[in-house]
Amino acid sequence: MQSIIEVEHLEKRYNKKQALKQISFQVRPGEIFGFLGPSGSGKTTTVKILTSQLRHSSGHVQVLGDDPNRSRHAGFLSKIGVLTDNSGLYERLSVHDNLILFCRLYGVPDRRIDEVLEAMNLSDDRHTQVGKLSKGMKQRVTLGRAILHEPAILFLDEPTSALDPVNGGRIRETLREMNRRGTTIFLTTHNMEEAEELCDRVAFLNHGEISALDTPQALRLQHGDRSITVTTAHGKQVVQPNAEGAEYIRELMRRGELLAIHSNEPTLGDIFVTLTGRGLQ
Amino acid sequence: MNFSMRRFRAMVTKEWKDATRNPQILLNAGMPILLAVLFGQRGFEPGDLAYLSMPVLIAISVTGAFVQANMIAEEKEKHTLRALMLSPASKLEVLAGKSATTSLFALIVCAICVLVSGIPPVHLGYVLLLSFLLLLIFMALGTIIGLIARTASESSIVGLPILLVFVFGPIFVPDFDLPALMEFVHWLPSYQFVLAFTELLQDGGLRQIAGYLFYLLAWAAGTGVLSLLIYSRKRFDK
Ligand SMILES: Nc1ncnc2c1ncn2[C@@H]1O[C@H](COP(=O)(O)OP(=O)(O)O)[C@@H](O)[C@H]1O
Ligand SMILES: [Mg+2]
Repeated sequence: MQSIIEVEHLEKRYNKKQALKQISFQVRPGEIFGFLGPSGSGKTTTVKILTSQLRHSSGHVQVLGDDPNRSRHAGFLSKIGVLTDNSGLYERLSVHDNLILFCRLYGVPDRRIDEVLEAMNLSDDRHTQVGKLSKGMKQRVTLGRAILHEPAILFLDEPTSALDPVNGGRIRETLREMNRRGTTIFLTTHNMEEAEELCDRVAFLNHGEISALDTPQALRLQHGDRSITVTTAHGKQVVQPNAEGAEYIRELMRRGELLAIHSNEPTLGDIFVTLTGRGLQ
Repeated sequence: MNFSMRRFRAMVTKEWKDATRNPQILLNAGMPILLAVLFGQRGFEPGDLAYLSMPVLIAISVTGAFVQANMIAEEKEKHTLRALMLSPASKLEVLAGKSATTSLFALIVCAICVLVSGIPPVHLGYVLLLSFLLLLIFMALGTIIGLIARTASESSIVGLPILLVFVFGPIFVPDFDLPALMEFVHWLPSYQFVLAFTELLQDGGLRQIAGYLFYLLAWAAGTGVLSLLIYSRKRFDK
């Protein structure tokens, strides 16, 4: 299998509203692929189509060599894991009871719950009723549920609140570890730091169209500004990356006047604005 | 469609835990018991034969329809059905898990109602058979209500007119001189259940209730097929 997800000229219309316009991309096995776009750009629609929750209007879609439209069978479903912004938990049940149901539906041994709770930093809350958890904790339970069966592809639709500053590091590490063991990850976000930190390649989605697709590194090079900003007691100054600039910075350093030095490499967010004329929020 | 006992058991375990902590469901299950206590207080006259079946009728219809409807509607409302549909659980396993849990509730509520209302002993096997068919019919109606309602509380509102027709029709209409309405009530499986129950109380046997059994069986098959059809057509996305 060349690509694990294959999308060609995908279109989706909701009644009159065109949510996706002629989208094409491929995800390779083992990749962390990011779908970066502001709210309403069509990220959730794409995830729903790829995970057999929604029919597309036209175009060609293949996931794990299968048409998701015809793949509502246990074989396909047990190979994908999905975290969406609106997939619910049983609020009256404990964290543990929520997970044990899915362990048994997927045929995974119960002890897998311990590993997942550990990875999601929820071990101390296993007997807490889900209704009493914070939004971020609930999203971590949902993420734990999505990875219980170690899927071949993990779809993460805006996992931002699971990746909060306190727990985010540990969870990102879990995701990378799963990825190293072979799980392909399809992640959507409007948070460019998230995309930048995790993704091997990103697609920019804007009004249902892909306006760029490449590695974060390549995107930065293409839209690069390689100048450098130096800060001295007199203020900030932009320096070009040439012999003259090097000499200038050397001089500042020699005289002990250099207070700070920053590269002007654009962030993915900056590039998104350059390409689409709008921000990510 | 394949059916896995492991997944079915997992669903029943989850439904039972969840339902026994759900105040709305406990309220629905408590109502027939309360009514049975009132029936028991009232005491029975010899001419009251039809009334004796009421606690059983109410227990089965209210629990069967409302508990089932509530469980289905809430699963849609809270978007938990989406996670189930994304898991290898089939729609049939999900529905079977709910139906088994509803049946368990109905059985317990029914037993309590019989105990507190003090129904005289009748042939237990036949009563169970009649009650089982009635339960199938009301669970099918509950499934349809749960699929129509968008939220758990809406399912009570959608279910109320059905309860009024199916349960209070056979209880109150015979006491009034309303021939047209009575004609309609005659068609209801709940009324046929009351009649069959009365036969049993008068020492009737299989011969006396065979007609009723077939009638209820036809209703169970009809509503069962209808509910499965609506359920299998329904797509839980958007
Ligand atoms: N069920 C629906 N019916 C009609 N329009 C919809 C529906 N779902 C999404 N849309 C529209 O499709 C577009 C893309 O939505 P969505 O995929 O949810 O975007 P995102 O996840 O990037 O925020 C939006 O304009 C949204 O209003
Ligand atoms: Mg979205």
